[in-house]
Amino acid sequence: MKEYNKEILKDAANRLLFDMTDEQYDTLLNEFDIITKQMEIIGKDSLIDDLEPMVFPFECSTSYLREDVPSTPLDKEDAIKNAQNKQEGQIKLPKVVL
Amino acid sequence: MNFEAVIGLEIHVELKTKTKMFSSAPVAFGKEPNSCCMPLDLGFPGTLPTVNKEAVIYGIRVANALHMDIDHELHFDRKNYFYSDLPKGYQITQNLRPIGSNGYVDLNTSNGIKRIEIERIHLEEDTCMQHHFRDYTLLDYNRAGVPLIEIVSRPNIRTGEEAQKYVEKIRSIVVFSDVSDGKMEEGSLRCDVNISLRPYGSDKFGTKVEIKNLNSTKFIQQAIDFEIERQSKLLLQNQTIRQETRRYDEAKRETILMRVKTDAVDYKYFPEPNITPIVLSDEFVNDAIKNCPELADSKINRYINEYSLSEYDASLLVNEKSVSEFFDEAAKLTKSYKLLANWINVDIASVLNKRNISINELNITPKSLVALISLIDSKEISNNQARDIFNKMIETGKDPLTIKNELGITSQISDESAIMELINETLNEFPQSIIDFKEGKSRALGFLVGQIMKKSHGKVNPKITSDLLLKELKER
Repeated sequence: MKEYNKEILKDAANRLLFDMTDEQYDTLLNEFDIITKQMEIIGKDSLIDDLEPMVFPFECSTSYLREDVPSTPLDKEDAIKNAQNKQEGQIKLPKVVL
Repeated sequence: MNFEAVIGLEIHVELKTKTKMFSSAPVAFGKEPNSCCMPLDLGFPGTLPTVNKEAVIYGIRVANALHMDIDHELHFDRKNYFYSDLPKGYQITQNLRPIGSNGYVDLNTSNGIKRIEIERIHLEEDTCMQHHFRDYTLLDYNRAGVPLIEIVSRPNIRTGEEAQKYVEKIRSIVVFSDVSDGKMEEGSLRCDVNISLRPYGSDKFGTKVEIKNLNSTKFIQQAIDFEIERQSKLLLQNQTIRQETRRYDEAKRETILMRVKTDAVDYKYFPEPNITPIVLSDEFVNDAIKNCPELADSKINRYINEYSLSEYDASLLVNEKSVSEFFDEAAKLTKSYKLLANWINVDIASVLNKRNISINELNITPKSLVALISLIDSKEISNNQARDIFNKMIETGKDPLTIKNELGITSQISDESAIMELINETLNEFPQSIIDFKEGKSRALGFLVGQIMKKSHGKVNPKITSDLLLKELKER
């Protein structure tokens, strides 16, 4: 199984356009350790292929629906702050047409 | 060899909610770029989707109007693809369990009633708006996350006419149920067509071609008619049809190749883990259905049964929701339904067409139109005078009574005994005209009516005068 270290997490955070403190990276690494160990335990179960994939950890449902009431949106400058290239309040990128 | 067209339509309808499908960002058009976004709409990490209640209500309304089975549990899935219009890298949609399935609509076509089956409708979110320039693209995320309903028909449409009627019907349903403004030209109702040909009698499907971004029902029909002809020619020349995406060139009236399709894209759908299944109570679903405004078909039946209008008149009134609402308001104030329908369908419709405006932008209200109709009904004014007053109403917005006084239109004489007095007086003055009439000279009648009009200073009701005069001439 892939070994997780701070560099990998930093690279992932960078790709996702955010950063954390060293303390937060340590906390996250600890969590990855636990998850990795749990995955190893699950991987040893010979019955794994017979199990239905689950989306949620247990049967759960809700009846909550959000009321249709607008909130104050992000400031338009903030909304595109992470973009490298901007023009007329929009994100600019090389022409892409599918 | 003759070919049968097999046509399926996918329609995307933008819902007119106040907020987006999965975030509370406002849905607003014409705003500054990227000014209507919440972190979720931009795909920022650490944000979670919440499902818009109103959008779900709208989905139920449409599913019910299309006679569908309504799923009482909402499930969402991720459709994964990498493209700049999709900041999260996936679209939240309903793949496995759409909110509505197995429905239909009945269409009035030139070949009679045709039932079009609808496979599914599902709730999803719109992508961002991309503005393409010569060598760059600009992204505006205001549209990203706007609620959509996708309506997928089964491939049992056979002609351009059926496709056009089908889209018109869907448009009518979403507009009258108040879930969308249904404006194709503005992109709030978008339509993609899948079309293939096969020899009559064959049960195999041919290679299908997709026509994208058709922005009027007229163009849908034209594009399909062209495509049927294009594919027929190729097949008759023993050429194969390529799996392509094409667009319709309105000026050239032909479909143009956009790209050749390879294998189907694998969107790697999987259930959206950030939205647990949402149970909709029977009460919630029933309320959504119960509170749906009256649909066009129901209005047509009501106009025919309660107001004795013809099917033709009733259908014209529901071509536009705002027009039918104007009629409904006015119909509360008068019982002259036929006259009211005529004024709306002929005189008002003509002004709306000429000026390319909606009835709500007109200077005339239901109340003022009914006031005009009352003047006609009570025979205080003739139809010609009513038209003069109507034209002034359009120009000035004043009420008909004020305009009548301003134009110096005095009330018509409709009292039959008063008119008979004038008729007898005139006939006694012009005995030769009676002889002329008896000898079949029809001009005599017109001459006598003219004389009576002159005597009354144009005040007698021409219709009553003419009828009474005719009767009197025959008796003499």
